[in-house]
Amino acid sequence: MAVIRDVMPAFELFQPATVDETLGLLERHGADAWIMAGGLDTFDWLKDRIKRPSVVVDLSQMQELRGIREAGGRLEIGALTTLTEVAEHPLVRMQFGLLAQAAELVASPQIRNQGTLGGNVSQDTRCWYYRSGWSCYRAGGNICYADSPTAINREHAILGASRCVAVSPSDTAPALIALGAEFVLRSGAGERVVAAEDYFVGPEIDITRMTARRPDELLTTIRVPAAFAGAQFYFEKVRDRQVWDFPLVNVASAMRLSGGTIQQIRLAVGAVAPRPLRLTEVELAVTGQPRNEQTAAMAGELATVGAVPLRHNGYKILLMQNLVKRAVRGGPLRGDGA
Amino acid sequence: MAEHRFIGQNYTTPDLVAKVTGKAKYAEDFRAEGMLFAKLLLSPMPHARVSRIDTSAALALPGVRAILTADDMPEPADSVDDTGRVIRANRRAERALTNEPLYEGEPILAVAADDELTAAEAVERIQIEFEPLPFAVDPLVSLRPGGPAARTEGNVWFRPPTPPAEPSQPPPPQPPIDVRDLKWTAEQFAEADEGRLPMGEVLDEWEYGDLEAGFTQAALVLDETFVTSNTSHQPMETRTSMAYWQNGRVYVHCSTQSVVQTVAAVSRWLGIPQTDIVVVSEYTGGGFGSKITSAISLVIPALLSKKANAPVMMRLTREEEQYVGRSRPSLHARIKAGFSKEGRLLALDFFGISESGPYEGGQDHNTSGRIVSLLYQPVAMRFRGLGVMSNTPPRGPQRAPGGAQGVAVMEPVLAKAADRLGIDQVAIHRINAPEGKAPIGGPLPQGGRAHVTSAFVKEALDKGRELFKWEERKARSGQRTGSSVRGIGVAVSAYSAGSIGFDGLFVIKPDGKVYIQSGIGNHGTESVIDVHRVVAEVLDVSWEKCEITWGNTGKHMPWTCVSGGSQTAHAMTRAAHATAMDARTKLQEIAAKTLGGSPASYRVAGERVSGPGGSLTLAQAAQKAIELGGKYDGHGAPENINAFTKRSVAALAGQGLLAVARDTYPRDGISNSYVAGFAEVEVDLETGQYRVLDYLAVADVGTVLHPRSVGGQIMGGSLQGIGHAMTQKWVYDQQYGVPLAKRFYQTRPATILDAPARMEWAAVDIPDPETPVGVRGVGEPPVGAGLAAVANAVADAVGHDVFRRFPVTCDVVLTSLANGRRVTDPLTANI
Amino acid sequence: MDFLTWGINPWRQPVLTHISWDLFWASLFAGLMFLVAHASYMILAAHRKRSAEETDAMEAVYKDLPHQIERHTLMARLFHWVMAAAMFVLLLTAFLPIAGIRFAWVEWHWIAGLVLTGSIIYHVIHATFFLDFWSIWIGPKDIPELKAEILRGLGRDVPGPKPGKYPLGNRLYHMASVVVGLAAAVTGILMMSRIRTPLVPRNPYLFSDTTWGITYLLHGAAGVALVGLVIAHVYFAVRPEKWWITKGMILGWITRRDYLQHHDPDRWKLRERKAPTAAQF
Ligand SMILES: Cc1cc2nc3c(=O)[nH]c(=O)nc-3n(C[C@H](O)[C@H](O)[C@H](O)COP(=O)(O)OP(=O)(O)OC[C@H]3O[C@@H](n4cnc5c(N)ncnc54)[C@H](O)[C@@H]3O)c2cc1C
Repeated sequence: MAVIRDVMPAFELFQPATVDETLGLLERHGADAWIMAGGLDTFDWLKDRIKRPSVVVDLSQMQELRGIREAGGRLEIGALTTLTEVAEHPLVRMQFGLLAQAAELVASPQIRNQGTLGGNVSQDTRCWYYRSGWSCYRAGGNICYADSPTAINREHAILGASRCVAVSPSDTAPALIALGAEFVLRSGAGERVVAAEDYFVGPEIDITRMTARRPDELLTTIRVPAAFAGAQFYFEKVRDRQVWDFPLVNVASAMRLSGGTIQQIRLAVGAVAPRPLRLTEVELAVTGQPRNEQTAAMAGELATVGAVPLRHNGYKILLMQNLVKRAVRGGPLRGDGA
Repeated sequence: MAEHRFIGQNYTTPDLVAKVTGKAKYAEDFRAEGMLFAKLLLSPMPHARVSRIDTSAALALPGVRAILTADDMPEPADSVDDTGRVIRANRRAERALTNEPLYEGEPILAVAADDELTAAEAVERIQIEFEPLPFAVDPLVSLRPGGPAARTEGNVWFRPPTPPAEPSQPPPPQPPIDVRDLKWTAEQFAEADEGRLPMGEVLDEWEYGDLEAGFTQAALVLDETFVTSNTSHQPMETRTSMAYWQNGRVYVHCSTQSVVQTVAAVSRWLGIPQTDIVVVSEYTGGGFGSKITSAISLVIPALLSKKANAPVMMRLTREEEQYVGRSRPSLHARIKAGFSKEGRLLALDFFGISESGPYEGGQDHNTSGRIVSLLYQPVAMRFRGLGVMSNTPPRGPQRAPGGAQGVAVMEPVLAKAADRLGIDQVAIHRINAPEGKAPIGGPLPQGGRAHVTSAFVKEALDKGRELFKWEERKARSGQRTGSSVRGIGVAVSAYSAGSIGFDGLFVIKPDGKVYIQSGIGNHGTESVIDVHRVVAEVLDVSWEKCEITWGNTGKHMPWTCVSGGSQTAHAMTRAAHATAMDARTKLQEIAAKTLGGSPASYRVAGERVSGPGGSLTLAQAAQKAIELGGKYDGHGAPENINAFTKRSVAALAGQGLLAVARDTYPRDGISNSYVAGFAEVEVDLETGQYRVLDYLAVADVGTVLHPRSVGGQIMGGSLQGIGHAMTQKWVYDQQYGVPLAKRFYQTRPATILDAPARMEWAAVDIPDPETPVGVRGVGEPPVGAGLAAVANAVADAVGHDVFRRFPVTCDVVLTSLANGRRVTDPLTANI
Repeated sequence: MDFLTWGINPWRQPVLTHISWDLFWASLFAGLMFLVAHASYMILAAHRKRSAEETDAMEAVYKDLPHQIERHTLMARLFHWVMAAAMFVLLLTAFLPIAGIRFAWVEWHWIAGLVLTGSIIYHVIHATFFLDFWSIWIGPKDIPELKAEILRGLGRDVPGPKPGKYPLGNRLYHMASVVVGLAAAVTGILMMSRIRTPLVPRNPYLFSDTTWGITYLLHGAAGVALVGLVIAHVYFAVRPEKWWITKGMILGWITRRDYLQHHDPDRWKLRERKAPTAAQF
């Protein structure tokens, strides 16, 4: 059978208006159904005829999953809220600027107008070998094309790889982890809530999926607790181009200071591992330390312990170190420098 | 012309409103009764032979109408050029479909069906098997002893010697180019391990001056390896075409840079006479050299339409565009340069390899050598170059083909020399800059070297230095504040900018309006309209009275240059000038005939022809022309115009005063245009990222014809070059020889947010002395300047031992700085 | 049910990726069914036992033999149990994720694989040079025993022939384990170049797609077969009438009575050795 790409095949389209209807469809069609939110990841797969669901469940009609509400200091963000809405919402900007910054740096304005927060955290990796539709580990096969003696893996993982070396591409994920967000998942069987960092799974656990979401589950809400409201935030994303580009490395931190001392911190890094990494050890090490260059440098060093570079991505170690440093320091090195 | 009414003035081109309101009809906006859609089956392997095709399941699908395969392709036929010389067809040339694909993504067959979805399903149902063959996606790998060759016959093109003429016979035609295998030795490759480009046997070579002496005298000798990237053209409009046949004529709606010349191209591809071809292309969404006359994307629907006996449209997807849409070949270069202590380039030993793809295109290294010889005027120079085939998509000319690469690899050497010698960057460019009728290229067969029509590069550098406040910025360059450091860079660039000898055609009708026939393509440069401002200028008619017809060869166009090599503005202003002069002469003659007196005593101005006997309006003169007939209304045509133009003249005859002429103005030298680019960057040492804060391009493009168009070309071309410097590239998997970066977001051309925060342009605006309007082309030279000025600015900020290949991305900067030397693999292609 | 799982390589050629995991379920099912069937049969078919008198008579003849007959040396036992542990780790890490229980299994799997391979190498050397190498193999001389075993299995009362050191079933099992275990170990070692370990450089292109396909197929098939074999092995090990063998593998010796009852002293000749002291009893 010959292969053709970039032409969307036919499928049955459902546009349910309510969560219950959606769950019913997911239950009925099981693994044959594909959930579509903004479609920016979805359409790539469909157009390339690599993922061939017979049923597409388009969530665009579900008003109940749109919008941002405040409930007792915490935010409830509907999974279908667009990234633009997230980035521009006054509550997000005022209290959880970290998330606004992250959302604002995703892709391009067009994509942010269409892409949803739920889709952004649930999106698949962009490993170009995997995206080419070959039977790599992630596609159910038994080979990783990205980690071979000749592979081009500049954008791949330095940490947490297990057979598969693809990275988590999301910009909002590290921010949500740093904020201690929770993801609400619903299925016919009921509701469960998982911590942001547990929503993402690495290949060592499940090599064909990026998240802990089961196929019959719908991500309905993202809850951002009040814990870090108005804290000191830092987000930075390094990419090749200033728009339309996924992160090479991104970093998110939420910090509370008392005097010059770091009292509490949550720190997460994206695009260095198959899942966004929360840097618990760094958090522990810097908590109680003064926020200064020395602590920042120590954090940077510690962050990449155990990193294994591939042929073309050694720079990610330096980059991750420097970004973690900046997250702790609160910005680029200023002044006259050395 | 002293005072210009139109030339040098801004105005709104007549195609603009349609473009910005979405009313413009591009190729895919056309429909024809019963139109089918075509989809392609592409090769999954970089080099293979089709061993079995079974289309039965596809043909059984309802709605599938026809399948076109390589067997339906016409044999490449010999052709005869204008001088009657036979051009032997290259039998190894690219055809639209093939059974021996030479790159992943090469079209194997095409299916026509009622709609695209059906066509795609049909492609999927085709049972096809391939036998993989050895392949190379890296020119150096192919040159290694025992390395694979891109084609079964070898890895380089060469031209076999022409057999001697038989006594009393005309000389036999030159044989077509052919393929042979070329390998370098293991000893030659030893240098590769140290990151230096090995230098083995080459096929293209020239030399002038005393190279040895130059190096001996030199105060500084640098030996550097630089590699540029393959970059796809990626125009916004993928190449769509629609074709149908009527009464033995083929009508093609397509996306092309050159309307009239596309007729000639289609005629060659399909082997049918030009008179049986009508090309319609009113709007083209960019080409950058990849759509000079359009090609296989147009041949497939044309042949498929014939086979299916119905109109066929083929819309290429973005991925297909990546495969068949052409690209700029990369250049692997080794440069040995000797400078005097004042910075004068005494000796240049330039060695360059183009990765030329599997077909004829992509021999860019030759132009690199020429442009470098022009731009830096080395006292002595040796050029050695080789195009090495690879199993990657075919190369084509891309905006300053060869020029941009040559500049890219030379400029860092110049900047480094300036640094080592303690000379200012602008000064080292100035001391080496071409001036006036500067020589270009290697020795000519008849001796001596060719020269350009003019060059005002020093003027451009001086103007730029001032406008850019170079000295002020220099004071703060290299200074570190925190993690950020700034740098400034300057680079010069040149490219061919004009051809000669084409025709112009217009009719002044009895309604008093001037109906201008434009055979130029409308691909965004606006030359399709701009060049005709010359007609209004010469005849002194208001622009509102000029109606321009373009985009359809069925509407009778004059023979026109291809829009490529920045030649249009030059070539077609000359033709427009010649034609306007023809109209002026005819008006004078008509006035003299009607009102008495000598033609010379009549003046054409203010939309009248006036003289001793009174005056005629243009409308009256047009009416008179019809009455007079003969050459005045097109019933007679000059001998020297092209046959194509003659047919158009015949078709338009009798409608008014018909002006037609061929550009026969003399020209001493080869026309080239120049740009000096100035950039300031800020590098973040903690991330390796950098931003271009400010960019200024100062152009020497002769007379500025239409400032907004010139500005658009300079800014666009600069940004394209800046993209080459910063992000754009190809990525190939070496194991399977297939591309990994296939989509816009992966190949990373520059985006608007990568554009410098401030970007400006200026022009020296000195008329070229060798053309009547003084205009030279502008499209191409901005690219190299943009590319290299940014690269030089980065080097100025972080040092000259940071990069040796393009694009210069943050990983390169970061790792080099951390290691204190360049660590990125310099030679492997497409990483 | 598909037996094989196919994928597609970058040249869009079909590549064999592994056996279908349906086969795992089939093997598991077959192993369990055998177990149920055999157990039921054993209960229903009131299995024949050799008469106690026969053994009593032999005891009289061989009364010089020690009470504890050494059956497995400490090293042999160590080998067996290390291998068993490795095997369990291997099977659990291989098949639990397939069964839907997800955890980070790869490291455990290859480390256990290396342990298994190491112990196999040790065993081969040990058995070749230090043990009665041939005692575990089967040959034409086992035909009478096979015949008798089958008949006995069918409930017929047949006398003799008794096995040497290893009962025929044991030896047949060993045979199957050798084939399957070696296949799994050899392919597994090769497969280590497909993953990142500190030991071998990762190179998925070491072999052609076809060779890899066959490697994965063999590894998978061997793994699946081992599921069945291990189930059977464990089942027999815990069956009451075989318990003396299991005990032998734990303690290293069997009683004289078991020796005489289950073995043909001519086929399992005990080497001259000192009688065990009472303390050891
Ligand atoms: C060119 C390009 C550049 C990009 N650059 C970036 C970037 O720099 N940073 C970045 O973070 N992202 C980037 N993206 C991704 C983009 O931002 C989208 O946000 C993201 O791909 C998916 O969002 P979506 O709403 O379009 O989801 P979809 O594409 O519709 O869905 C994505 C996945 O999530 C699942 N899904 C979606 N919603 C739900 C739900 N409510 N419950 C359960 N499952 C769900 C879908 O089944 C699908 O598997 C880029 C995308 C493109 C095309």
